[in-house]
Amino acid sequence: MSDIIRLLYRLCEAVVALFMFLMFATFIVQVAIRYGARLDALTGALPFLDPGYYGWTLEFCLALWVWLIFWGNAFVVRRHEHVTFDLLAQSVPFPVARAFLVITGLVIGIGLLASVEPTWSRFKILRIKQTATLGDVFGDWIRMRDVYVIYIVFLVAVGLRALWSAVRALRGDGAGLTTGSGERGPE
Amino acid sequence: MTFEFFLCLATLFVIAGMGAPIAHAILISSFVYLLAAGQNIGVAGKVLMDGLYQSYILLAVPLFIVAANIMNAGTVSDRLLRFCIALVGRFRGGLGHVNVVASLVFSGMSGSAVADAAGIGKIIIEMMTKSGHYTRGYAAAITAASATIGPIIPPSIPMVLYALVSNTSIGYLFLAGILPGLLMGLVLMTMNLWISHRRGFSKEEPVPLSEFPLVTFRAFPALLMPAILLYGIYGGVTTPTEAAAVAALYALLLAALFYRSLSLKTFYEILVSSGRSSAAVGLVIGGALILNYIVASENIPGRVAGALVGLDVSPIVFLLGVNVLILLLGCLLDASTIILVIIPLFVPACRELGIDLVHFGVVAIVNCMIGLITPPYGILLFVINAVTRIPLGEIIREIWLFLAVLVFALLLLILFPDITLWLPRLMGYAG
Amino acid sequence: QDKVTLRMSTPASDTDQRSIALAEVFGPAVAEFATYQPHYNASLIAQGSELESIATGDLEMSIASAQELATFFPEFSIFTAGYVHQSAEHQVAVFNDAVMDPFKKKVEDELGVKLLAVMYLGKRHVNLRFPRSELDVKTPADLNGVNLRMPGSDAWQFLGRALGANPTPMAFTEVYTALQTGSVDGQDNPLPTVVDAKFYEVTKQIALTQHLVDLNYIAFSKAVWDGLSPEQQATVEEAAVNAAESARQAQLTKEEELGTFLKEQGLELYEPDLAAFREHVQAEYLASDLAASWPEGVLERINELGQ
Ligand code: NA
Ligand code: NA
Repeated sequence: MSDIIRLLYRLCEAVVALFMFLMFATFIVQVAIRYGARLDALTGALPFLDPGYYGWTLEFCLALWVWLIFWGNAFVVRRHEHVTFDLLAQSVPFPVARAFLVITGLVIGIGLLASVEPTWSRFKILRIKQTATLGDVFGDWIRMRDVYVIYIVFLVAVGLRALWSAVRALRGDGAGLTTGSGERGPE
Repeated sequence: MTFEFFLCLATLFVIAGMGAPIAHAILISSFVYLLAAGQNIGVAGKVLMDGLYQSYILLAVPLFIVAANIMNAGTVSDRLLRFCIALVGRFRGGLGHVNVVASLVFSGMSGSAVADAAGIGKIIIEMMTKSGHYTRGYAAAITAASATIGPIIPPSIPMVLYALVSNTSIGYLFLAGILPGLLMGLVLMTMNLWISHRRGFSKEEPVPLSEFPLVTFRAFPALLMPAILLYGIYGGVTTPTEAAAVAALYALLLAALFYRSLSLKTFYEILVSSGRSSAAVGLVIGGALILNYIVASENIPGRVAGALVGLDVSPIVFLLGVNVLILLLGCLLDASTIILVIIPLFVPACRELGIDLVHFGVVAIVNCMIGLITPPYGILLFVINAVTRIPLGEIIREIWLFLAVLVFALLLLILFPDITLWLPRLMGYAG
Repeated sequence: QDKVTLRMSTPASDTDQRSIALAEVFGPAVAEFATYQPHYNASLIAQGSELESIATGDLEMSIASAQELATFFPEFSIFTAGYVHQSAEHQVAVFNDAVMDPFKKKVEDELGVKLLAVMYLGKRHVNLRFPRSELDVKTPADLNGVNLRMPGSDAWQFLGRALGANPTPMAFTEVYTALQTGSVDGQDNPLPTVVDAKFYEVTKQIALTQHLVDLNYIAFSKAVWDGLSPEQQATVEEAAVNAAESARQAQLTKEEELGTFLKEQGLELYEPDLAAFREHVQAEYLASDLAASWPEGVLERINELGQ
């Protein structure tokens, strides 16, 4: 991996950390505001703590969550970090495992890329659909399409990555064949 | 089953079986379904985004992951463990009991069995093997078995997922898990005691009573966490989702300020690693939402309910049948896949048969957690193998007896719904 | 000739009056040329995404709320505002009046969705966990400082504020526990929802504010409509209107009965100073950005139809 790619990868990781932190912080703000609203003296003295100003927190967290998932899967999550069912793939001889990698890489790559246009045609209509509350955070221009667009980024990035892994498996450098079972999603 | 649905399942099994990420396999198989059914393949992405964008309760998932990672990175886990040793280390099979009690205490803060096993589990397995009284297989097996309690006692990520698919209250599900979790702890400790006597495991050096106050004092703030969480939810301060954020904040304050064991750099790394696992899990959840669309499209709930009416099964026979099926599936499938994809198929039938959905949920989740330690596909076994390098074969050889008592506890839960429903009813649950 | 399949997706359950009426009245009436296939509990399409699914040809029917339509066309917010519709009959009069035509046309042209009929959802009231002795709601000022759970969009939150309360967004499934523990002080829904969700177990009073006479529209795919013969179109429209009427009568009867039931459960039901509420709420709306999107003369015409 060249230095530039490594730097970009670190940047993508930093974005994930930022999304995670914002989600965490927004939730804390939400609880604090709700609890603070019970103390009339507090909102009296500090009017900006009025819960009326914080209706956007829930939807903002949802948007962060969706962006975290698809940004993360597009640029940060590696193959061995996915939830997989790899009993069979791990017990077959090397050439078969390599064939599996090539086949799945091609199928997933072609499938995801082929779905880009039809998916976008579903999202297009959302250019006129307002969000419930995100306008309060980002301004009036924001529409549902702008939130959903990250999924298209995901389709393109993961599609290309899958094709690339198929190419590498064909060339025989065996990347992705040493799937450790240690790092997995939580139960 | 329609032909397009058959094609969909076949594609899913073939691609996932070749080792592709389950979420990717679900996407591809849903394209196959949509094409075969004459629908547009763009529907998959739309359904997935719509579903994810409205499930407020799912936000608890990333937050619980952060909380667990903070506790494992700080010294919160260590201090709890020392407290547990002082408490039950003096009895025969002491460290085995410590293991179970630590899981019970820890489960009150963490929503994830894997986090429990990888965090506190790793530390205690080292202690057990170093003491020389236990084989490493035994240490790993009891750790894996007790980690299954984690998501039964609240908070719980699987319960959040179940609440999503069954439209039940997270608050009541959490309450319903407390007694079943304690029951699981009890049967595991009983088995540990029995094995310890038979094999003559020696006792630990008891922690002098004079040291007890200090150990308790050091662990006290950490022990407060379950109390704070439960008060937050049932005292009306937070929703269960917000409780996950409060848990993470409390763990952060403990680790960073009180125990001074967490640097800014570590915190950043925790955010990145929590983000990674949240993204991976989130994608599987999204995949499950697409499968739910397909299942609804095929009107499978209606067909299952219809078939049941024809069969005239009693609720208890149905429950036993479903549980045997989940146990078998648990040998092969991931718990989140079962909860998100398989269990929704039975929810309409439960409604039809008058089975309480909170009871059914807790039973099904206990069952799925047992599935985490059933070979060949048991994630807890893999995780412990990965963090301790104890061979899988040795762990599996020792796991059977613990598996047996957990299945026994499951049977009790199925036959006596009151164990599950007593606490929620006490708090006003009308089911 | 093959029958058309009419997939209908709704967040409502199969025991909801709207679901029952569509299944028992609409479905059989169109059975000759169409197969009515309902999907309940938002099991097919997520709540709030039905309209765009019809627009892209992935769904044929839904029961759409004015709130959902307002996310596409802000002028629909007039039907989400407090104290605009006065009764079930008033809703029908407004829907059939010429004032509704530009609204219907816009939805048809830009979304490809036909609004066939208006369904009555019920009158929303303020349902609180305090006994009346502790909080007697007469005017909006009495709701000052009350944490009232409202659905999580700006339009709903605005209505909550206009009523004088502190609106709190929260997922519907969490409301029961939140009422029980005091996370929120109250919620607003029609009486059938108060009973179905068992909120009466954890609340003490219902101030019959009638702040929103809530409605849904039966939404139908324009593409499918255009493929039908004129006779079939007439049948579909008539079936929708009849289903809506049947659901309306059932819902009105149910509201009547449930009032008595709730009193038996020990809740205090009483009417606050409605004039004070109406005046305050309408003033709040007219002073807001929301009203800026309302076409001129519409509110006046709606008020006329209500007299
Ligand atoms: Na737990
Ligand atoms: Na298993």
